[in-house]
Amino acid sequence: MLLWVLLGLLVLLTVGACVFRDLLYVAVSLALVSAVLAGILFHYGANIAGVFELSVCAGLITVLFVSTVGMTKDSDQGDETRMGRGFIPLVLLVFIGLDVLILRWLGSALPSIVPGAGSGSFQNVFWNLRSADILGQVVLILAGVFGISALFRLKVKEKKHE
Amino acid sequence: MNNEILLLFGCGLLLMMLGVYLLVLYRNLIRLIIGVEVVAKGVTLIFLAAGLFRQDIAFIQSLIVTFIIVETVLAAVMLALVVGVHRIYGSLDIRLLSKLKG
Repeated sequence: MLLWVLLGLLVLLTVGACVFRDLLYVAVSLALVSAVLAGILFHYGANIAGVFELSVCAGLITVLFVSTVGMTKDSDQGDETRMGRGFIPLVLLVFIGLDVLILRWLGSALPSIVPGAGSGSFQNVFWNLRSADILGQVVLILAGVFGISALFRLKVKEKKHE
Repeated sequence: MNNEILLLFGCGLLLMMLGVYLLVLYRNLIRLIIGVEVVAKGVTLIFLAAGLFRQDIAFIQSLIVTFIIVETVLAAVMLALVVGVHRIYGSLDIRLLSKLKG
C-alpha cells in the first residue's frame, strides 16, 4: 500500500514538473520527486542511496536550480512549448498505455526472481569490489569543478575586454 | 515480489517517457535540464528494480550512488552553461542559439 502511495506521488509530482508555468515551482516539484524517490529507496532498505538522493538531489541540485532561475529571471523565456499544455493529460494517457503494453510483455517474458551471488555489505562493494570506480568518480567530480570554474573564468576575461 | 519489481520498472519507464516529453517539446533551457533530471529519476527507479530482481541491494546501492554523482556533476555543468548562455544571448530560448550551428 505504501509503495502505491509513494509511486503515485512520484508520478503526480513529475507531471507537476511538466505542467507548472513558474520555473521555481518546477524546481520545487523536482525536489519533492527526489524526496519521494529517497522514500522508495528507504522502503527497500537502500539506506545509503536514499541518504544520497535526499541530500544531493533534493538538496544540492535544487539549490543550483533555484539560484539559476534567480540569475536568469530577467531573460526572455521564449515560447515555452511546441504543444499546448492541454495535451499533457492525453500524452500521459498514451504513455501509461505504452507502459502497460511493455509491462504485459515483460511480465510474461520475465523469469522468476534470479538471486545473484550476493556481494555482501555496501562497504565491501564500494571500497573493495568497485574500488577502481571510485577513482573515476573523483575524476568526474574534478572535471565538473574545472568545467564550472573555466566557464566563470571565461566570463571574467570577457568583462576585462569590455 | 515480481509484481512490485514490475511496478517499479513501469514507474521508472513512465518517468523516462515524461522526461523525454520535456526534452522534445520544450524550448526553455532550464526545462530541458529538468527533463534530463526526470529521465535520471526514472533510471534510478529501474536500477532499484534490477537490484531487487537480482536480490543484490548492496551492489545496486553503490551503482545508484555513482549515478547520483554523475547526475549532479552533469546538472552543475549544464546549469553553469545556462548562466553563460543567458549572459551572452539574454534569452533561454534554444532557437536563438544559432552560433552553435556549424
